[in-house]
Amino acid sequence: MVRIGYYISGAGHIALILWVLFGGAFSSTRDPIEITEVSVISGAEFDALMQGVQSPDAATDVAMPVPPAEDEVAPAPESQPDAPPPPPAEPQVTQTPPPDAAPQAAEALPPVPAEVTDEAPEMAPPPEETAVLAPDVSDRPVPRPAERVAPEAVAAPEPDTQVADTVTEEVVPDEAAETPQEQAESGAPEEATTQIVTEAMQTPSAAPTSSIRPQQRPARPTPAPTPAPTPEAVAETPPEQPSQQAAQEPTPPAPSTADAVNDALRQALTADQTPSAAPSGQSGPPMTSGERDALRVAVQQCWNVGSLSSDALRTTVVVAVSMSEDGHPQGETLRMLSYEGGSAESARQAFESARRAIIRCGANGFNLPRDKYAQWRDIEMTFNPENMRIK
Amino acid sequence: MMKRLLTLLAALLVFAVPASKAVAQSGPLRIEITEGVIEPLPFANPAFVAENAAATELARNLSRVVSEDLIGTGLFREIPSSAFISQITSFNSPVQFSDWRAINAQALISGAVSVGSDGSVFVKFRLYDVFAGQELGDGLQFNGTQAGWRRMAHKVADAVYSRITGEGGYFDSRVVYVAESGPKDDRRKRLAIMDYDGANVQFLTDSNAIVLAPRFSPTGDRILYTSYESGFPRIYVMDVASVGRRALPTLEGDMSFAPRFAPDGNTVVYSLTTGGNTDIYRMDINSGNATRLTSTPSIETAPSFSPDGSRIVFESDRSGTQQLYIMSAQGGEPQRISFGQGRYGTPVWSPRGDLIAFTKQSKGRFHIGVMRTDGAEERLLTASFLDEGPTWAPNGRVIMFTRESQGETGTASLYSVDISGRNLKRIPTEGGASDPAWSPLQR
Repeated sequence: MVRIGYYISGAGHIALILWVLFGGAFSSTRDPIEITEVSVISGAEFDALMQGVQSPDAATDVAMPVPPAEDEVAPAPESQPDAPPPPPAEPQVTQTPPPDAAPQAAEALPPVPAEVTDEAPEMAPPPEETAVLAPDVSDRPVPRPAERVAPEAVAAPEPDTQVADTVTEEVVPDEAAETPQEQAESGAPEEATTQIVTEAMQTPSAAPTSSIRPQQRPARPTPAPTPAPTPEAVAETPPEQPSQQAAQEPTPPAPSTADAVNDALRQALTADQTPSAAPSGQSGPPMTSGERDALRVAVQQCWNVGSLSSDALRTTVVVAVSMSEDGHPQGETLRMLSYEGGSAESARQAFESARRAIIRCGANGFNLPRDKYAQWRDIEMTFNPENMRIK
Repeated sequence: MMKRLLTLLAALLVFAVPASKAVAQSGPLRIEITEGVIEPLPFANPAFVAENAAATELARNLSRVVSEDLIGTGLFREIPSSAFISQITSFNSPVQFSDWRAINAQALISGAVSVGSDGSVFVKFRLYDVFAGQELGDGLQFNGTQAGWRRMAHKVADAVYSRITGEGGYFDSRVVYVAESGPKDDRRKRLAIMDYDGANVQFLTDSNAIVLAPRFSPTGDRILYTSYESGFPRIYVMDVASVGRRALPTLEGDMSFAPRFAPDGNTVVYSLTTGGNTDIYRMDINSGNATRLTSTPSIETAPSFSPDGSRIVFESDRSGTQQLYIMSAQGGEPQRISFGQGRYGTPVWSPRGDLIAFTKQSKGRFHIGVMRTDGAEERLLTASFLDEGPTWAPNGRVIMFTRESQGETGTASLYSVDISGRNLKRIPTEGGASDPAWSPLQR
């Protein structure tokens, strides 16, 4: 009997809790407010309406734009003269390399005496012309494979196009234009392939490898039309990265409920998905994953591992660099923090390659958000060549 | 009460997660670079400074050969002198790195040449990392004779290559090969030796007897080769400096061929056909004592030592098709390492010990390829009507081989290719050339 009382009491409490949670016990319903749209007009407007015609008044309370204050400090020159190099080291005097070992030539063959006769030599009949059948299948001239291997394949740019990181269109000064445009040449990334294509991977050509004809030099084959890099092509190249990243960034859901618990949960989850929170002791908003990826892509475009030894390609180096506020790496701060997977010598090669990448691609300053300078003042880059080894 | 509890729970969620995140993100910004590019490294090589009038021509030639050596690797790209903003007029003048950075030169070579009163030539150079604004290694100076100017250029290029890539150089090396002339049905063959780039060709034998498969000793001062001088194939050893030669002792009527030195330079491994069966033997070159290493009714040939001398790779048709096997240098049960489709032959162990180069015949085509010493990671580098006989550069990064073109007028030529499969190119020779063997770096 006692238990029945417990059951009734429990059920009642559960029902009460459910009603509190979902029944809207804490949500107060307010009486709807009647809203009437009204518009307020001034006396002058009323008079104008009444009179029908009135010229508009000139606005006199528009604040004049404040002219931009001139920088008291002259901007730093973009290029600074190089520090005088240290006095050149005296070259080491090495031992004289032994002179070429000149192996004695084998016994010379006696010269063959020339046979001289008075009779005129008989002229050999000219060879009959033979027709050469054209091959049934003649592949188009195979272009030379690109020397550059990059994460993304890039079509060959037009011959007059300058090599640039991104596709840019040629700008020709237009006198008719209202605003003068700075003249610029067209640019496109260098042709690149994603893997090393050996001869063994290429499809063999059915065309004959040698032929006795034609005797005349054949006409130069017209090169296959190469698609001109268009602004649309830019979307396939690294600049697309930030937009992709931006698309991948989580967007906070629109507030759909006023519930305090749901709000708290949403804020907590959003904070968890934020790519980078403010480091302790650092100020400013955190770096987004898109901004970090943009930096990564910018550096990897200049990280050339083509001349690295096999051992260096097995060595991962961690490089530290301090950045100036305008996004330039400070060369004197570049240093190798650690390495893994190789010898000290291979680590030195790998570090030099990484240093060249940072300095080269940072020569014009990395595109980093200035308001987050505190986040990227000091950067540690791990250069891991695992994906770049010969496979 | 309930509302307070829920609010407290929400507050805990709000503050707990960012707190843990902040701890994980402290310190400098960290990024990982896992993708890069593979492209020739641009370098500038202004003409070497001639420090006296007698050195003018030499300076020009030296800098040209240095550039050709580097470009020929496929790892470097020379920036034309027309793009230079500044010039180097004195070896000791400071380098304006900004001028070289502006043209994207990543390495800069500065050199000078002088000719002494006794005719000796002095070559000195420095290598700069332009973007780091500092010298790569110390300056070096070589001196030699005017006749040996190409070797000095190769030594400069070797030093540049080695400092940038971390690999040993291979430019100051030579190649012995079989020079061929005449039509296919009456081909004349004789031994010749040249610089690695095809320069300075010298003939070592006449063309009275067919010669095959020359191989350098580990020190580069002797050559093993097979000659039909006696009517049967027989192995000879030649001193490169004196061109003197002697035959290795074999029994009358036996055919010996495919010789190769052991890393100690005193042992030779080779094939011997006796009684219709071909097996692999090793011989002490001084005493002439021979030891049989294989004993099967199949054909075993083309042996090649590992760099440490402990193992031998060879080809055998004991499985029914020609495949590659590895056995101890003292003989014993071999282990098959090639399992792909087709036939494998002429294996050669890399001087670095990590790879084995081979010839492969598959689907009517010939390939030069490389594989790990356990047979893994087989990669075919070339493909043609006939590619065969690979030989390694001293640094183990480049392979030279014979390519023969099709047809009655087809000729044999020497080609080289990087172990990545890039930079396939023909070595210029006068007339036909086959069976190359790369020397070690000259001393």
